[in-house]
Amino acid sequence: MKINRGERRRVIIVFFSFLAWVILILGVLVKLQVFNYGKYTQKIRTQSNRIFSLHPKRGTIYDRHGDILAISVLSKSAFISNKEKGESGKLYGKIVKKISLSYKDRLDIRKRISAGKHFIWIKRKLSEKEFASIEKINVEGFSSRVGFVDEYKRIYPQKKVASHILGGVGIDEQGLSGIEFSLDSVIKGKGGKVDAQLDARSQIFSLEYLESEIPGKNLHLTIDLPIQYFVEKKLEEVVKKYNAKGGSVIVMNSRDGSLLAMASYPGYDPSNIRYTKQSTLRNNALSFLYYPGSTFKVILASSALESKICNVNYKFNCYNGEYSMNDLKIHDVHPYNTLSFKDIIVYSSNIGAAQIGMKLGDKKYYSYIKKFGFGNELSIRLPAAEKGIVNPLKRWNMYSSAYIAHGYEIYVSPVQMIRAMNVIASGGYLVEPKILKSIDKVLFRNKRPKRIISGNTCSSVSDIMVEVVDVGTGKKAALSDLKIAGKTGTAKKYKMGKFRKLYVSSFGGFFPVDDPEITIFIVIDEPKGLFYGGDVAAPLFKEISKRVIMSQNIGSEDQKLPGVRI
Amino acid sequence: MRKKSNYGKLIALTAFVLFTLLFTYSSLNLRNTDYGYEKQRLKNKKKELRETIDLLSAKKAILLELGRVERIVVQKLGYDYPEKGQIIKVYGE
Repeated sequence: MKINRGERRRVIIVFFSFLAWVILILGVLVKLQVFNYGKYTQKIRTQSNRIFSLHPKRGTIYDRHGDILAISVLSKSAFISNKEKGESGKLYGKIVKKISLSYKDRLDIRKRISAGKHFIWIKRKLSEKEFASIEKINVEGFSSRVGFVDEYKRIYPQKKVASHILGGVGIDEQGLSGIEFSLDSVIKGKGGKVDAQLDARSQIFSLEYLESEIPGKNLHLTIDLPIQYFVEKKLEEVVKKYNAKGGSVIVMNSRDGSLLAMASYPGYDPSNIRYTKQSTLRNNALSFLYYPGSTFKVILASSALESKICNVNYKFNCYNGEYSMNDLKIHDVHPYNTLSFKDIIVYSSNIGAAQIGMKLGDKKYYSYIKKFGFGNELSIRLPAAEKGIVNPLKRWNMYSSAYIAHGYEIYVSPVQMIRAMNVIASGGYLVEPKILKSIDKVLFRNKRPKRIISGNTCSSVSDIMVEVVDVGTGKKAALSDLKIAGKTGTAKKYKMGKFRKLYVSSFGGFFPVDDPEITIFIVIDEPKGLFYGGDVAAPLFKEISKRVIMSQNIGSEDQKLPGVRI
Repeated sequence: MRKKSNYGKLIALTAFVLFTLLFTYSSLNLRNTDYGYEKQRLKNKKKELRETIDLLSAKKAILLELGRVERIVVQKLGYDYPEKGQIIKVYGE
């Protein structure tokens, strides 16, 4: 078939038109696929893919038996998507009748609605009841609406129990105090990111983990919940009975330093930590610094016997209860003429103790005080553990050893005192108190304890402490079935430049004496009426000891079989 | 003529194979998507169950709160604290 010139021209025009069209398409494709590849990939990803942040779940805290002390559970947080102020105001008016909000929060939300903010939190971490009451509050036809977001909420099932140990968390689950704060990095875990692929209905059909979420680790504490509960209850009773300012009790395993209970009064509910006074948050067991008074004579006796400056029968003149030398004036509660070294501790003679201190000498005494851990950091995993105040040797004057001998001119914390007293119970080792049993399933062990005094010295001091409870100032701590070793302490408080008639009463001891398992230390701050350690703290020691014996296999062999009455 | 007919058959066969492959591929792809949904649903379910377990554990712990138990035992059930010697602890082997 022959085609004429005109037809050929038309074919060529059509051909080149198609060619231009194809080239144009190719050009556009190259532009889309090559030059703008990144831009359009990003665009399509935002349409069909969505990146979500994964909030890690905070680890659970258990006691030594596996009972829950703190746990995070999912809860709903409510917000208003404020598209129209009038509608949002109406919705908010309905909500506010059904959930509890502080006056400040209510005012704040109103302000934010009026200001036209698009996203407004109503209340985060609602209770189940609150959520149920406002779940279906949205009004059809309203462009503003109430929405809900899942958030983890920290629950402390035991309420006030162990509050100072646990501490608490803030609204975003960040540790604020206690073990929640000190081990925050371990418990909180690590957030992750996930790329979700969505279908046309915005439903997720595939997930790609960009960063894996790591849940927080679970902690097992050494705390024994029933003992902790009992100790806190009894401490509260005693503080109220003597109208005291506060107090603390520590119960410790003498062998490995595990803390079975650590109570501090006043307590608080960790769920309300944000509304708790700073002074109430203070863990008295760790950060209350006080003059230890006569309980410090245990450290004096150990230092003196270890240095061999005298033996337990060495006699000291106690000057009938009043001793003065230049500026040094010391009194005894009961006047004594002469007392042996042992009786100085048993009857708690300050004059006798001062003489032992001076006989020991500043240098030796200072070195033992440091060996017993005073003025040194504690390795306990809790914040705000005070290291106490021990003047450096160069700041000691000629009376320092005499004053420190009966527990003045030195500031200590209850946990330091239990660590020092436990040296006698453990046969001469400085065992660090520990609160952490394990992280997940990995057991936490303390460093090997250092021996600081000999077993013989411990045994002599222990015998003296038994007499303190049997016939001395600590009689009210005695148990009929079990030998207790202990020491009382009563110290005046130094306030505004002078000693006031305000006291700190304390008692520390351990049992069973033959093979100590439990060490307890009690401090009551400013008891009114009775104020001696032997009257205020010793009876509490007895109560707690009975309870501890009930839950632990404690007692001499003949008492263990077939049963023991408590 | 015969040659032409074989050529036609070959085209038909190729088209059939291609169609079958395409169909299988599409159905597999669709099934994969279904598996994706199912996997995600089960993952969500597992997470939900874990959360439910934790919630129930928390509720159990709240119910067993020692202060609450003590209040119920003493105030509602009328039990009293044991006297000295009323508790006998028997030690095992």
